[in-house]
Amino acid sequence: MLEEEQVALYLTARLIARGNKGTLFLTIMILAMVFVNLVFLPSIIAGVVVLFNQRTIDYSYGNLIVEPRPGELRIENPSQLVQKINGIPGVVASTPRYSTGATVVFRGRSTSPLVIGIDPAREQEVMRIFASVQSGDYLSPSDTGEALVGETLAGSDDPEGDSTPTLGGVVVGKTIEITFPNGFTQAFRVKGILKAGTSSVDNAVFLHRRDMARVLGEADPANTILVRTETTGKDAEMRLTLMQYGVQEKIWTWQDKSAEFLASIVGSFGIINVISTLVSLIIAVVVIFIVIFISIVYRRRQIGILRAIGIDRSLIIKSYILQALFICTCGTLAGGMLLIAVLQYLAVNPLIFPGGPVQPALETGLIAQSVLSLYIVSVLAGYLPSWLTTREEILDAIRG
Amino acid sequence: MRSGGNMIRGEGLTRIYRMGASEVRALDGVDLNIPRGEFVGVMGASGSGKSTLLHMIGLLDRPTAGVLEIDGVDVTRLSERQRTLFRLNRLGYVFQDYALVPELTAQENVYLPSKVRGMSVRECNLVCQDILERVGLKDRMNFLPGEMSGGEQQRVAIARALVNRPALLLADEPCANLDTKNSVLILDLIRSLNRELGQTVMMVSHEEWHRQYFDRVIFLRDGKIVDEVGAGSAP
Ligand SMILES: Nc1ncnc2c1ncn2[C@@H]1O[C@H](COP(=O)(O)OP(=O)(O)O)[C@@H](O)[C@H]1O
Ligand SMILES: [Mg+2]
Repeated sequence: MLEEEQVALYLTARLIARGNKGTLFLTIMILAMVFVNLVFLPSIIAGVVVLFNQRTIDYSYGNLIVEPRPGELRIENPSQLVQKINGIPGVVASTPRYSTGATVVFRGRSTSPLVIGIDPAREQEVMRIFASVQSGDYLSPSDTGEALVGETLAGSDDPEGDSTPTLGGVVVGKTIEITFPNGFTQAFRVKGILKAGTSSVDNAVFLHRRDMARVLGEADPANTILVRTETTGKDAEMRLTLMQYGVQEKIWTWQDKSAEFLASIVGSFGIINVISTLVSLIIAVVVIFIVIFISIVYRRRQIGILRAIGIDRSLIIKSYILQALFICTCGTLAGGMLLIAVLQYLAVNPLIFPGGPVQPALETGLIAQSVLSLYIVSVLAGYLPSWLTTREEILDAIRG
Repeated sequence: MRSGGNMIRGEGLTRIYRMGASEVRALDGVDLNIPRGEFVGVMGASGSGKSTLLHMIGLLDRPTAGVLEIDGVDVTRLSERQRTLFRLNRLGYVFQDYALVPELTAQENVYLPSKVRGMSVRECNLVCQDILERVGLKDRMNFLPGEMSGGEQQRVAIARALVNRPALLLADEPCANLDTKNSVLILDLIRSLNRELGQTVMMVSHEEWHRQYFDRVIFLRDGKIVDEVGAGSAP
């Protein structure tokens, strides 16, 4: 039976080599685009997820989040705990924070954002908030009475245009008044405006933790410690390591904290992705189907006569499947080259998303899946029309 | 090839086309016995059933009724797959138009059915060259159909029909698209194949002057044999 495949290959090779090159080229190019489309969009989505994850770590949570023991509101001896955590292998640094809701007033406009006390120097080794200063400066270790305000919270001169409650356009050098839950009110000079593209920064106020301590009347208040580890991705293991080293506080990973949000993003991208994949594959099927169908209809008589002289229709069908496979192979190769060209272009001119530049994240699994689905679809698109059209009686085909 | 016995034996061959309430008797009880090695002509007016008869014998269609034996095989009992193999191995068919695969050279067009039959590449090449030489196309072997004249293409089609050494060569008006000069060439060729190789041939024609080539002529009218002239069977 291998005989028949050989003859089909022999026939196909000549049909392709001596056939219409224009149609062939066009078909291959369409397949190439389909391949790029199959791989590119999911890669961009994966790239966005990578970016989003990095930003979640850099600006919101670090790798691990340490919170008070069950039933407690404060971490005991946070400075000591930070020292201890910093000594654990695999940890880069950790930093204590004290966060509380508070009322912030500027020029009679009042909002209730999250106010976060930080240790500016330690914070710099864990989080990248220092890098998001849009105007003014980051807090220095010796500052007192200074605040960093998120850009969204700072708002604009035309507060009616802001979508969330804002301070109506506070800028560096102005003074805001903060009233804490214990009733204590103090004025702070705005030292910098932050813009990180993440609401946990852009909608918050950052103070020196020392100021927070004074307000609360406590020496070393902290309700979270953020931890940066050497490698991202081994967060769950690092969480266990911390526990093994005797950290008795509650420990979360950044994924724990952002899981729901991330899942919702990935979920909605996933739907777009499925639709795009389906549309691409349908285009591939239809194009190959039409090309082969036209070729067969055009050769109807010729195929009828081949069948009349004793050539089985299965050989004709195999020949067309081989043609489809050839188109698919060339299309995938051309698509691969196109993809490399696009990636090189994007390396130089990255796509800028709200969170920053996105690099497509190519996954071998995805490429394999795209290639495989293209092949399956091609076999189908070669098989169906040739099966359908060679089903008719030989005499009908010969009479035309 | 077995000597003796008939190549074709048909009894009461009937083919009825039903079209709604009416029916057309394209073949209406044809009896025929064609001995091996004969060159038989089938003649008659257009619509008299010549092609229909050839289609039956060529296993492209099944008779509505009747007995049909070819080369000693009761072909009415064969399955579809067996019929395909029978056509490949024992029959050669030439049509009015040559219907070569335009992307294949003369040699490759002939090569195709021999390759399907499972001959080795060496064997195929030998046989193809041999048969193309036989039909006088030795120097046209690597030409594509588009580069050849109608007569040359029909000779390639004949070579393709003969490459598997069929027991029976069937030709349905093979000269209909050719001028007289090329028709003579084709008829001479078929005649010499018949004479020199002992090839049994059944050929449809409605040109009166073709008669001189045939050993025997079967005349059809309205699906019936109305006359039979030639070797052995006195009219
Ligand atoms: N597929 C068909 N359906 C209906 N009638 C047919 C069909 N094929 C042939 N016929 C009829 O059968 C008769 C014989 O046709 P055919 O064998 O082609 O004649 P010839 O080859 O002698 O010109 C004609 O009357 C033709 O109209
Ligand atoms: Mg006819």
